[in-house]
Amino acid sequence: MAQSTDHVVDQVAQLNAARSLVLGDAALYPQIVNGILPIVGANARLELRRWGADFLAETFASPMLATVQKQELAPTVLQSIQETLALPETDTAVLSSLVQTSASLYPLIFRHIVNHPEDSKTWETMNAVKQEILRKMDSFPCPAKICSVKFLQRVVQVQTPGLIADPRRPDQNETSLAVVPRNHALLAIPLLEAEASGLLDRLLGVFQEETSDPLVVNATLNCLAPLIRTRQSIANKIIQTILDFFPAKHVRPPFTPTVRVGVKSMERTARALLFNVMKKYNKSPATIRGLDQRLTNPFRNPSNPLMGKMQAYIERLMQSRLEVTEDASRKRGLPVEPTDGLDNAKRARLDAMTPPLLKIPPLPPGPTSYDQLFTLTQDIGLSSFDVKQLPPDLVVKIAVPLLAQVNPSMLTQAVDAIRNRYETITKEQNLKRQQLYQAATAAAADEDDDYEPDYEPLDVGADASEEAIALAAEDAELEPDLVSLGPFVLPQPPPLTEEEAGDVGRSAVSRVFGMIDAVETTPSPAQSKTQQQLSFARLAGSTFDRDAWVILLTRLATRAPAGLEGGDKSKGELATGKRQPTISDSIRETLYRYILEDFRARLKIGITWLNEEWYNDRVRMKAANSDRGDEDEEPTVALFYDTWVLRLLDGFLPYLDSRDIKVLVRFLSEIPEVTIAITQRVASLAKDPERVNLTVQALMYLIMFRPPAREMCLNTLEDVYQTYEESRPAAGKVLARWRPQALPAPTETAPAAPQAEVQAPPTAST
Amino acid sequence: MAAYDPRVNTGTTTPQNLPPPPPPPPESTLSEMTSTTEAVDTATAVATGDNPDTPADSWKLKFCTVCASNNNRSMEAHLRLSTAPTAFPVISFGTGSLVRLPGPSITQPNVYSFNTTSYNQMYEELEEKDPRLYRNNGILNMLDRNRNLKWGPERFQDWVPGLPRLDHISKGDKGALGTEGGVVDVIITCEERCWDAVVDDLMNKGNTLNRPVHVFNVDIKDNHEEALVGGNAILDLANRLNESAMKQRKVHGAAGWENGSGAARLSFDESVPEILAEWQEKHPNLPALWTLAWL
Repeated sequence: MAQSTDHVVDQVAQLNAARSLVLGDAALYPQIVNGILPIVGANARLELRRWGADFLAETFASPMLATVQKQELAPTVLQSIQETLALPETDTAVLSSLVQTSASLYPLIFRHIVNHPEDSKTWETMNAVKQEILRKMDSFPCPAKICSVKFLQRVVQVQTPGLIADPRRPDQNETSLAVVPRNHALLAIPLLEAEASGLLDRLLGVFQEETSDPLVVNATLNCLAPLIRTRQSIANKIIQTILDFFPAKHVRPPFTPTVRVGVKSMERTARALLFNVMKKYNKSPATIRGLDQRLTNPFRNPSNPLMGKMQAYIERLMQSRLEVTEDASRKRGLPVEPTDGLDNAKRARLDAMTPPLLKIPPLPPGPTSYDQLFTLTQDIGLSSFDVKQLPPDLVVKIAVPLLAQVNPSMLTQAVDAIRNRYETITKEQNLKRQQLYQAATAAAADEDDDYEPDYEPLDVGADASEEAIALAAEDAELEPDLVSLGPFVLPQPPPLTEEEAGDVGRSAVSRVFGMIDAVETTPSPAQSKTQQQLSFARLAGSTFDRDAWVILLTRLATRAPAGLEGGDKSKGELATGKRQPTISDSIRETLYRYILEDFRARLKIGITWLNEEWYNDRVRMKAANSDRGDEDEEPTVALFYDTWVLRLLDGFLPYLDSRDIKVLVRFLSEIPEVTIAITQRVASLAKDPERVNLTVQALMYLIMFRPPAREMCLNTLEDVYQTYEESRPAAGKVLARWRPQALPAPTETAPAAPQAEVQAPPTAST
Repeated sequence: MAAYDPRVNTGTTTPQNLPPPPPPPPESTLSEMTSTTEAVDTATAVATGDNPDTPADSWKLKFCTVCASNNNRSMEAHLRLSTAPTAFPVISFGTGSLVRLPGPSITQPNVYSFNTTSYNQMYEELEEKDPRLYRNNGILNMLDRNRNLKWGPERFQDWVPGLPRLDHISKGDKGALGTEGGVVDVIITCEERCWDAVVDDLMNKGNTLNRPVHVFNVDIKDNHEEALVGGNAILDLANRLNESAMKQRKVHGAAGWENGSGAARLSFDESVPEILAEWQEKHPNLPALWTLAWL
């Protein structure tokens, strides 16, 4: 015996060496498989049989060995398997491996037979192996039984029609019933399909057993995904069966830890399978749907009713798991499944097939309100409940999960019911209206239709012909009066007098000022920054902040009425004299007051406004010049800039403080044009000894940075120098720098005031 | 680092340069086809090396450990299983999309790709970046352990079951012996979402091998201390499972089947729920989960 053990050890070592060879180079498989078959055959020692069975299982599962080569090897190996099985084989390990090998062989042999209808012997052998496994699988030891489950799944997969990816290249298609020719000598499609259907029932039978074996259930669940994915014809049935399976109901108390492990594993595996199925269908692109119906799985449609059911099943699983596995000790044991044939699983399935019918209550008699039209419930409490009492976020919380769970067929029923009601009401009303109308026209006494005054179309007179009536009826058919009131024409408003128009205009202006006040505080530093960055590129009034409103106002004041008022003046020269305060004037007045209210903060508005005025003046002067033509009349253009710049300056000068140099300098530097009048106003500040420096510094700034106004300012400064003693120290320095000749003989060099210059506005505004 | 195991410190830092275990001289002239290849010698040595008198004993369950990044928990378990006295065949994977290791802050993890980055590369890169930080948080020690175990992190979803893994043997991966066929009997994940990912991925792979595989989850928090505790518990589970499987292999034939009694009569597969339940009672803080799936 020791001798023979040594011999076996040697043999196993040799075999392992051979295995290492093929693992390194799959091309050697045919040679080695044929070489080992006699050594590990039916009558060999157990160690060798085990090794051989393992090796064969590995060979036919190997992704390295090409399918074609596997197909060539398959018939030989099959023979060997049949012999071993027929012994009968009793070792669990060998048996499991052989069943595994058979599962791998089945599609190979099937494909071989499809291509070689004459090889009836191989098919007979395969059938013998198949029948042997199917017959004995229930009495197999557990590991082999588990492998038989997989074998069953393989047979079902092969004998159910699959997808034909490319009908022109049959070799490329997956092995399934779909690749069998109709007139095949050995393979009768209807028989094979019927057998597969029976085997599928057997496979799924595990879910309907009273007491589940977690091993078999898990083994089954874990191999169903490929069937669901690739076998459309049976996918529904499989999913439905799983949906009716609740692991917690298929165990018997007491709930030992082992049982709990089993229940938990079945639940988690069922959940994993459904997630896998749902994910696949959700993920697949909708674009495929239109391309090829055969490629399209029914579950790809997210509205598939099974999707919702799967979701609900998963939720229910989670719940039952909590109850059974965690609280089992505290709870009574679940009642044992009834054995009278009224199995819950089957009942549930019947329920699921016929969706519940919605009960539609009839509408109450009399005129119908929208409320009644859309109310389907008969629960008074529910229909009188005011949803508006609930806060919106709560409603959302309730509504979204509810909507997700709405049964599609119920929804369809409800929508149909409302549609029917609506159509009925519409028809009734049309009929009634037509009758009334005919009665009215027949009487021809009065055209006022007291019954339905709103509806009467305006264009239908007393002498309306039959056609018009028919038309009206048609219209009515299209627009039921539930939703329409017929054409409505606003009466023409009485013409406004000029004063009224002015009042309305002024009130509009005051509302715009209200807007400015409203947004005054809002602009954030970031916003103003971006605005500055926009600078030339920005459009006036495009930002809807305070600046935008200001620009709107200044343009309203300066540009909007320009043509109108100008037109007035060109017609009658009297107009200048007794001109009514126009809207633009009132805007100017309001703007003026508005700026003076807080001139330090609103100076910018003033500058914007004055720039607009100045620009407007130029435009009007130019227009007047070109309009003049041959006429000798001097163009008269009222210039607003000069007036308003002085008014504004006069307005705030008295309030200027000696520290307000920045305000003043800013104003003077940014207004579009500095005139003598302006410099004189500035010089007048020097009357106040405290503000002398203000004058000198402002003028110095203009002298330095506003060359067009330099001469004018120097003249003024000279004046100031001579007139006000207090200014001499400061003004003297400036004059020494810019006009030294004025200093030695100040009294002699005061020249006449030069003309006002026209200067380009320093700031651009578009 | 807490998870550091001195047993693996073999003094080398570059496992990819390790030579394969030295093959013993060929014992016999086998058939003509086995005399040429070096791999044959290695395999022969493996099969016969330990105790040639009882060949059945050399058979063991093959394991696979899985966590998110194939760095901490799965590698600790890999270490324990491959260096245990029984030295199980073991491979390991991560289910994440990328290998993520803690960085200077929670928002700046160090990210590497699976299958193409070696533990040694990561080690050297992090040592360059901030040796103090990565030594103090245990990352360098962990990577050092890992690079002594196998070449680099592998992604579970990229694993092709049944694809030969001879190259891992030649690279000197610990636990590679016995996994050259590219299949395992038991997968142990270290987190529920990894278990979900593994079960889901096996379904996606199409169960083409027709080979059953037990998929366990042992919930382990992702830190060095817990990984150490979890690694111990996983080894305990593996020993229990292997013991049952060995029993089944010894009991053969109808006679043997009848002779056993009670749990001994259960086949390995049948005993799994029971083993897990017993194990769970001993390790109540590591919630476990199990299913029987297909490769």
